Amino acid sequence: MSRRMPWASGYFRTGYAQDFKLIETRLERVSAGLFAVALSVFPFVASPFQLDLACQVFLAAIGSLSLMLLTGYAGQISLGHAGLLAAGAFTAGILFKEFGAPFWVTLPAAAAVGALLGIVFGLPSLRLRGLYLAVSTLALHFVVVYLGGEYETKRGYSTGIVIDPPSIGGYAVINPRIWYFVLLAAAAATLFICLNLIRSRTGRAWRAIRSHETVAEALGIGIASYKLLAFVVSSAITAVAGALFAYYRGFVSVEAFSLFLTIQYVAMVIIGGMGSLLGALLGAMFVTLFPYWIEAALAALPGAARYASVLFAVNYAAFGLVMILFLVFEPLGLVGIWHRIQTFFLLWPFKHRQVTGTNR
Amino acid sequence: MTAPGGSAAAALRRKTAPGLLVEHARTWPDEVAFRAKHLGIYRERTWRKYMELVAGAARAFASLGLGAGDRVAIMGDPCEEWVICDLAAQSLGAITYGIYPTASASELEYQMRDGGAAMFVAENQEYVDKILPIADRLPTLRRIVVIDDSAMFGYEHPQLLRYRDLVAASDASILPWFEEQVSKLAPEAPAFIVYTSGTTGDPKGALITHGKHLAATSNILDIYPTLADKNHRTVVYLPLCHVLGRDIAVTLPLISRLIPHFGEDIEDFTTTLFETAPTLLFTVPRYLQKFASHILVGVINSSAVKRTAYNLAMRVARRHARRRWDGKVSIADSAIYEFCRLVAFKPILNKLGFDQLELVVSGGAPLPAETAALWQIYGVNTVEMYGQTETAGGIISGQRGPFPRPGDVGSVPNGWQVRLSDNGEVLVKSPDLFEGYWNNEEATRAVIGTDGFMHTGDVGEWRGGALRLVDRARDFIVTSGGKTLSPSFIENLLRASPYVAEAVVFGHGRKYLTALIEIDYDTVADWARSRSIAYSGFTSLAQSPEIGRLIKTEIDRTNAELSRVEQIKAFRILPKALDPEEEGEPVTPTRKVKRNLMYVRFKSLVEAMYDDREERLLAGEVAGALKPQGGLI
Repeated sequence: MSRRMPWASGYFRTGYAQDFKLIETRLERVSAGLFAVALSVFPFVASPFQLDLACQVFLAAIGSLSLMLLTGYAGQISLGHAGLLAAGAFTAGILFKEFGAPFWVTLPAAAAVGALLGIVFGLPSLRLRGLYLAVSTLALHFVVVYLGGEYETKRGYSTGIVIDPPSIGGYAVINPRIWYFVLLAAAAATLFICLNLIRSRTGRAWRAIRSHETVAEALGIGIASYKLLAFVVSSAITAVAGALFAYYRGFVSVEAFSLFLTIQYVAMVIIGGMGSLLGALLGAMFVTLFPYWIEAALAALPGAARYASVLFAVNYAAFGLVMILFLVFEPLGLVGIWHRIQTFFLLWPFKHRQVTGTNR
Repeated sequence: MTAPGGSAAAALRRKTAPGLLVEHARTWPDEVAFRAKHLGIYRERTWRKYMELVAGAARAFASLGLGAGDRVAIMGDPCEEWVICDLAAQSLGAITYGIYPTASASELEYQMRDGGAAMFVAENQEYVDKILPIADRLPTLRRIVVIDDSAMFGYEHPQLLRYRDLVAASDASILPWFEEQVSKLAPEAPAFIVYTSGTTGDPKGALITHGKHLAATSNILDIYPTLADKNHRTVVYLPLCHVLGRDIAVTLPLISRLIPHFGEDIEDFTTTLFETAPTLLFTVPRYLQKFASHILVGVINSSAVKRTAYNLAMRVARRHARRRWDGKVSIADSAIYEFCRLVAFKPILNKLGFDQLELVVSGGAPLPAETAALWQIYGVNTVEMYGQTETAGGIISGQRGPFPRPGDVGSVPNGWQVRLSDNGEVLVKSPDLFEGYWNNEEATRAVIGTDGFMHTGDVGEWRGGALRLVDRARDFIVTSGGKTLSPSFIENLLRASPYVAEAVVFGHGRKYLTALIEIDYDTVADWARSRSIAYSGFTSLAQSPEIGRLIKTEIDRTNAELSRVEQIKAFRILPKALDPEEEGEPVTPTRKVKRNLMYVRFKSLVEAMYDDREERLLAGEVAGALKPQGGLI
């Protein structure tokens, strides 16, 4: 069986098609419904600033989900994430500037470029592991950023490429609320793709490779092709996220794709919790919002104005500190905390899972 | 469907189970008859499919030469094929009987010889291995059919056949033939034999006819009309060779709206319970006790916050249960109780798959009042019924409920007569009893009196219109002090402890009572682990001094509820688990303890509890030392 039975009693399957259901129990149905309502009401009650934050979170979520597939499930370390985002953004920007291509051409093109780079990024992984793989992907980051920078200076866009908002049926997407729903849909679609990938043959192969390559190979899994597939899928999604980012900002520039961005995405995966899509989402939210919390916290201190100059430094330091604290005290990340809370109530009033006929 | 009462029973008396199957397949072909889990999926079997499966098996059996009056033995854990083979053989007029999956080799041979089966159906390779060594010594046995042949490598035996091959060729074209076969069945003809568990002597086979079985079983609907009023999910896990198991899996689905669910494997039956969340459950006390003790141990080992919440809820719920038995529940009481149930008990029941239960019926053995009360406190409508193999699938009495006060076995169903003999024995009369014991006229005469009343061998009394069983099978201990005591009463109290799996009380003709205790390995092991007590297995656990002290406190607690003469003065823990599959073990396949055999098997342990030689020896050894020794200093 590909999926365990739900945690509540009384849900049995009478056909294999029911195995594919993502929402099975009444509690799951109710909470998913409430969550959907909350998400669709949010843009109408939120301030423009909050709306922008939400859009950033969605963009980050797409990127972190794709990195989670590669690192959290297939076990391949990549430090080229910012490079891939840049590749997607520049593909959209160049196609727009050079050919005036509309978004429904640039997005698939970004995906194609991403997939192509994925093969290039992935090839070293067939021979290299761990730190060596990380360094080789880092090299590609610099190549992509260098090429982007060259394009900017050679074509005279040294301050960056300005992109017009995408238009759907002659209607330009400028309204932040529309952007909110566009990005929400993109993030939801990404989540759906990832969910289905990891619970299918592909996802099982990836997890087997992460656990033990030799054993996976002995099980008949084509290591090379599945590793490359992980890079291709992850890179394609990342490049699309980059293109969306370019459209959302209406502006592409190499400065936005520094190595720090890569570190942020790696942080999302680690802080969220390795090997969990929910972790990727939580991590994206946490890392995106974290600087704003720090800022708000500093502003709340007495004599806030005096700290304004050190805000940037404090932010960096706090971010580093949080990373260290998570690695030391909660290696399972935010999702580990969530699972502990969940387990507390799921096992109620017991502490251990001995009494149950449940599968979890 | 079937209204309770005399006319319904009379109608059923003229029918057969295969006949009802054909009727159902015609009347509602696409309704679900049962669900059986196979490779993770609960396959839904409609009545039409059910009949096709039975017809296919019947055709195969007929082609093997099985005919009316032949006996078919089926051995194995409950599964859909068990039921299908049973009904298929019945449709040909053959007489079926089940053999306990836990039966030892000698018990198997006895029942094969006694029943004289022409065909042996084995659920899987395990039972093939049991029958093959004795197959050549059984003159009547012609065929062995194995249902699950997944482990059958390199087996070659002229009599051995695979169920899969037999039914492979069957299709819908045989249905007219099948219906004709079924229409030829006489309701008065014997349908099956059920072997009694035999706590005293060899098992006896009770012969039961088609019509009487259906009519008798319908009296369960008279006590529990909900069975016929709405669809109920239930789980099949009790052995099908037992009359209660047959009622649940075969008969009640044909005469009520009970939908049985078969698990993937009997070992996973807790998973099956959880996944299917039955609305109605027939069970034996052992399972209710086991689940309850697991809950209690789970709560004991829980965190302080959770334990406190549970204990608070229990305090409210106990008071509520008492008021409910007295019929004095106010709306406020109910509201508070419902809150407690939601917070504390519902999550527990959900983990077991018990949260949708509307009715739990316990039968087969006496249900300790404490166990029934505990489940009622949790909010599970637990009732007790009382029946015997000889009542042909029907019951002698049952608590109607809802939430009846535990302690009795309820009232007598419509159309049945129960009275007590002068010495208190329960006598029962009905047109639908068993025919007699197979090959045992003498035993039949001993049970069925000339007045048509059947002797149950159980001692009862009336209490406010309800039957209360004082003791089953007239099993008393008379101490040397002349006191007559009921050991099963004391044993039930002992078994109420989560750490005690089985307790056997001795003391006939002795000064005081003693007990042999079998520990509940799971809960005691859990207890030991939580206290970092090292053990390597059952024996080392049973012999650990800490466990001895644990059982001592459990016995002291029981003694506090007993009068002085009833108290257990000494006990020993059995060094091994009782295993019915082992040769000469003092338990029946249903884990009922044979007291006499228990004594024979563990004689030294019992005698040691009465033996005072050791003490005298020790006393002699130290006698001088304890006396004041003047003059030395």
